[in-house]
Amino acid sequence: MSSPNKMPFFKDAYHMSGAQRRVGAAAPASAVDGRVDSNGTAPVSLGVLTVFGVVVLIAGGILGGAGRFFDYRTMFRAGYERIPAPGEGDAQPPPKAALASYMARGAKIYAAKCIVCHGPEAKGDGINFPALAGSTWATGETQRFAMIILNGLQGPISNGKSYGAGMPSQAAGLTPEDVAGVMTYVRNNFGNNTGDIVTVAMAKAALEISAARAKAGQQVTAAELTADHRKALPGPPLDPTALVNPITLTPVRTSAPASAAPKP
Amino acid sequence: MSSTQSSSTDQDALLQAAIDRSLRYPVMFFLTSGAAWLALALLLGVIASAKVHNPEFLGNWACLTYGRVFPAHINALVYGWGMQAAFAVILWLMARHSGRKCPDAVMILTAGHVWNLGVALGSAGILAGNGTGMPWMEFPSYIWPVLLGSYCVIVMGSFNQFRIHPQGRVAIPQWYIFAALIWFPWIFSTANLLLHCLPGHPVMAAGINAWYKSALVFLVFTPVALGAAYDLAAQVTGRPVSSDALAKLGFWSLAVIAPWAGMQKLAGAPVPYFLPYVGAAAAALLFIPICAAAINTVRMMWPCRKTFIAHPTLQFITAGITSLMVIAVTSVVLYLPDSTLPLTQFSWSGYGFDILALYGFFSLVMFGATYFIVPRVAGRAWLSNKLVQVHFLFSVYGMITICWVALFGGFQQGMSQENWQLPWIGVSAVTNPYAVAITFAWCLMLFSNVFFCLHLILMWRSPDRLRAHHAPGEPAPAIPDHTAEHIY
Repeated sequence: MSSPNKMPFFKDAYHMSGAQRRVGAAAPASAVDGRVDSNGTAPVSLGVLTVFGVVVLIAGGILGGAGRFFDYRTMFRAGYERIPAPGEGDAQPPPKAALASYMARGAKIYAAKCIVCHGPEAKGDGINFPALAGSTWATGETQRFAMIILNGLQGPISNGKSYGAGMPSQAAGLTPEDVAGVMTYVRNNFGNNTGDIVTVAMAKAALEISAARAKAGQQVTAAELTADHRKALPGPPLDPTALVNPITLTPVRTSAPASAAPKP
Repeated sequence: MSSTQSSSTDQDALLQAAIDRSLRYPVMFFLTSGAAWLALALLLGVIASAKVHNPEFLGNWACLTYGRVFPAHINALVYGWGMQAAFAVILWLMARHSGRKCPDAVMILTAGHVWNLGVALGSAGILAGNGTGMPWMEFPSYIWPVLLGSYCVIVMGSFNQFRIHPQGRVAIPQWYIFAALIWFPWIFSTANLLLHCLPGHPVMAAGINAWYKSALVFLVFTPVALGAAYDLAAQVTGRPVSSDALAKLGFWSLAVIAPWAGMQKLAGAPVPYFLPYVGAAAAALLFIPICAAAINTVRMMWPCRKTFIAHPTLQFITAGITSLMVIAVTSVVLYLPDSTLPLTQFSWSGYGFDILALYGFFSLVMFGATYFIVPRVAGRAWLSNKLVQVHFLFSVYGMITICWVALFGGFQQGMSQENWQLPWIGVSAVTNPYAVAITFAWCLMLFSNVFFCLHLILMWRSPDRLRAHHAPGEPAPAIPDHTAEHIY
């Protein structure tokens, strides 16, 4: 048996040669295994306890953020508010694809203004209110569609039929973003599928054109629409997959490499 | 030394030799098949890691897609190597400390084959696309009862041996080993029952899964490795544990703290708000049991630091304990819920932490134990000292690379992920060099562990100690007949 404080030489312990002859051939390797019968009684030193104390303090700090313990119904911190992402573009919401952002804005406007008459599926009722689904005036030239929304409409429509007393102007309270959103929404929903976006810039142009009409303030008629407004609204088109701020609908500049954004 | 002491020491030595011999087949079986699984796991790890920076690599094989290779890699590492190495160490330590021979080698070997069959079927199931998608529990759901059953058979004898204390007290390694013996079936059956048999809310399932991962590391692998480290440090250096009080503090704080950790992985998920914070606090508190055990074992080995380089067991254990200290510090630093956790939650830091625990700590200590145990149970010396040194150096350098890159490259990755204006592909581009470094490190470790496995296989040859180790010219000593009277 090696004495407690002597390190057995490597070759003995490891290759089992020297110790073997001492205790007999059958137990060579085991012979050098130290048998330590009692543990030391050294106290836990003050330094170690201090370090442990610091760790306990850190852990306590972490626990302090935990809210009420064993409260299995609360999933969020009390008074939780989303922290805006740091860096450039502070306090901006995360950008989203343009089409989705415009559609989301348009859905709200549609639900507030259009749904009462044209219905949740934009099918109208066939007597007083025409369908927007499949309407060529909705999916066709954007300026004609904008004039109807902003000024209302009287007389026969695209299918030659007249509906009730006509449509009143919807311009009150609509911002260019709202107009752009609701036009994009109607043109890409209810089975309509133009795939393009009526941008905020186009909607601003539509408001100007509407204000500059000869019969400003009156409902438009099919004749006027065909004569003056059968064209697209001016303005650069917007890639439906480009990232925009979902609130302002303005394009977001990213530090993305050009290849990152998928092109249609 | 007086003659009575000497003869009782000789008796002890003969008894130890008899115990070792009775354990030859079970221990060698678990270590060798474990090493084979380790080599396979590392090969899968190389493939999975290569796919991170080179997605077309082996891209035409459905069974080698990242989503299958990576779980196969981790599960082979955990159940193929980790648990089997643990079995070998548990069997040997419990038998040595109780002074009893291996209870029933045939039964253990049979159960060991069943375990290997389960791991093989499970890994094949993952590669065939039947994985469950739950980290560290990816084996198809019919595997876990097989593993649990064979586990119970394998350790039953060791469990019973705990009752026997020839020295009149329970040694520190026995505390840890016995605790791990109880904790494994507890966490394994809890997690598998809750996730496979009584599925609840899927978000909470992710929480249970995260808890299971943490518990497997800190309630099974850590106590087994700490038990081995305490025991081997004492055996090799011949010195007692310096502070019994510190050892008790370390053990009981581990038992109390570790089961609370794990849920920090779910910070920000819609789980009850306090759970991730409790997990993070427990992870930070794990510093205490880890540090206590590390101080105690290092104090035992410190006086022998001069001869340290000559002893692979001490080398591996010291490297493992060093990794353990890194784990302790990182688990304080990485899991602060409001500052560092968002950076590490979805980045490589988590993987780095897993590998640091599984390989850097647990496996290195198991290698140290292997180099100590195998010559004793196999009755022959290791063939080549060079192979052992190569294994050590490659393992340690590979480990340092992976942990450095994964823990701190993971930080970089986390910061890129937090920058919402940078598209996801940009995050990949930023971290590409780190991915290449991880593949390189896995290659180093694969290389060294293939030789470790071969070395172990060669140790299966018949015992050579009589032939090789008596002095030249002397007649070979007679082999003592070990019958029951040598075993008290």
